[in-house]
Amino acid sequence: MKSFIDRYCRFLRVLLTLLMCFIIVPVSIQIISRYTGLIPRYIWTEEVARFCFVWIVMIGAMIAVYDDAHFDVDLLPQAKTQRSQGIRNLVVHVAIGIMALFFSYYGIKFAQLGFMQSSEMSGINMASIYIAFPLAGFSWLLFLIEKISDDLKLIKSRELKPTL
Amino acid sequence: MNPGEVSFILFGSFALLIVLRVPVSFALGLACIPIFILDPRMTPIVLLQEMWKSYNAFILLAVPFFLLAANLMNASGITERLVNLARASVGHLPGGLGHINVMVSMLFAGISGSSTADAAGIGSLMIPAMKKQGYDTSFSVAITACSSVMGVIIPPSILMIVWGGLMSISIGGLFLAGIVPGFLMALFMMGTVYIYAKIRNYPISERSSLREFGNALSKAVLALVTPAIIVGGIILGFFTPTEASVVAVLYSTILGGLIYRKIGFREFEKSLYDSASLASVSLFCIGTASAFGWLLAYYRVPHEFVGFLGSFGTGPITTGFIVAFAFLAIGMFIDAIPAIIILGTMLLPLAEKVGMHPIQFAIIGVISLAFGLVTPPYGLCLLISCSLGGIKVVHVLKDVIIILIPMLILLILVILFPEIILFLPRWLAPGLL
Repeated sequence: MKSFIDRYCRFLRVLLTLLMCFIIVPVSIQIISRYTGLIPRYIWTEEVARFCFVWIVMIGAMIAVYDDAHFDVDLLPQAKTQRSQGIRNLVVHVAIGIMALFFSYYGIKFAQLGFMQSSEMSGINMASIYIAFPLAGFSWLLFLIEKISDDLKLIKSRELKPTL
Repeated sequence: MNPGEVSFILFGSFALLIVLRVPVSFALGLACIPIFILDPRMTPIVLLQEMWKSYNAFILLAVPFFLLAANLMNASGITERLVNLARASVGHLPGGLGHINVMVSMLFAGISGSSTADAAGIGSLMIPAMKKQGYDTSFSVAITACSSVMGVIIPPSILMIVWGGLMSISIGGLFLAGIVPGFLMALFMMGTVYIYAKIRNYPISERSSLREFGNALSKAVLALVTPAIIVGGIILGFFTPTEASVVAVLYSTILGGLIYRKIGFREFEKSLYDSASLASVSLFCIGTASAFGWLLAYYRVPHEFVGFLGSFGTGPITTGFIVAFAFLAIGMFIDAIPAIIILGTMLLPLAEKVGMHPIQFAIIGVISLAFGLVTPPYGLCLLISCSLGGIKVVHVLKDVIIILIPMLILLILVILFPEIILFLPRWLAPGLL
């Protein structure tokens, strides 16, 4: 399971890098076509760039749960035992889990709505972008399996000093 | 539900989740869920729709691109070139390295749009160098952290892009308005360094010759024209801000790859990934914050809030202080971007009511939020600098507070005399106002 999760996350990272590279293209086309006659002035460039961007944000948000990279605020004093550290982490992960369930369930409904719409400029089916939302929900749930099992291990452990 | 109940549920659950260390972006989204469930008129899909709408904005694309441009510039060794230029120009003043630190931050702010990148890039170079020359660690860390906040004030600025995009204010106008306070901030900070150096007897280096200065300038000049390309391109109407950000990416790729020959495939790939992941973490927050803000607006909370504040009969100056105070307070606890979306949209009607210029409103907000970057508990630039200097936050606080005093004076000046920020856009690009 762990190796599957790791591989999936690595796949997401590659996808993120490729999208970030790709997204430079339509905006560059837009500028080049305006100032030179080399390429026609396509109307879809802006829309394609926006849709890639939505995917970048959502994929980045998926990876950030795996990396614990979403910004949080440290207001509580340092945990005294591993057990209390584990409980704190568990609270955070359960909260993210609730959001993940919300995204999964309503995300599917959202994507179904998208099936009935096409985009204005390029005629792309909107489900192909809306689907990023339920996918984020599923990915978070997948990553949380590993995180929550780590939390439970911490809670069960009898060591007094937190390792963090 | 009435506005009071809604704001109690939203802000109460948000605050509770933040204390429990739930990430800010998730806390904002989770706080919305009870309302969607409790109010029968609501459907939960609206949360996702609001998020989607907020991401589907061409202007926000500028955020990852400006981050990418800055990362590429960093990978091309620009920071060293800027340090050399700063050394040749201000290195001979008392407290030389402190002045160099401030000046490099200012120059780098013109290339990058975020302060955290500045703190990390400049700090890793300057803090060890300052320690070695006998500067106190706390002072070195504090000046690095505080000077890096110029990144969000001097154009290009990610906060101004978000602000302008959200409240439909000209981003070119905001960029122009940020130039003067940015320069003043650098000047004020150098004054502080000077006083520190006199009291603590910090070392003085020899003055560089004109030839050395010319040499350093010629090596840095290709990087230094970046802000001119960006700001000039936008205000002259050559590009939109998003296009300008792509031009900055292309320019820095050519500069780092072909001219300085420091960027290969590996560096390029790494810069792409780093920029995309940092941008998406910051921007994911925009989605949930927008849903949160949408709920506030739907239940007319900002309207009630402004009515409440308006009952005190405030004028533009009092309003300016209220805006500054609100952003200073919220900036201590949450990231600047969600703060803009929630607080900015709540205070905008108040600013409009008293006739404050939208650009002045934005600049007061951005400068106040810049303080949040160096104040605990959520001061990212301070945390980065402290970890680079290997020192605890509490030991730096005294110096941070001293360095922030001139910044506070600047904020007050901007509130009292809006012309400080408005004259430049008025003069160069009256059409943008």
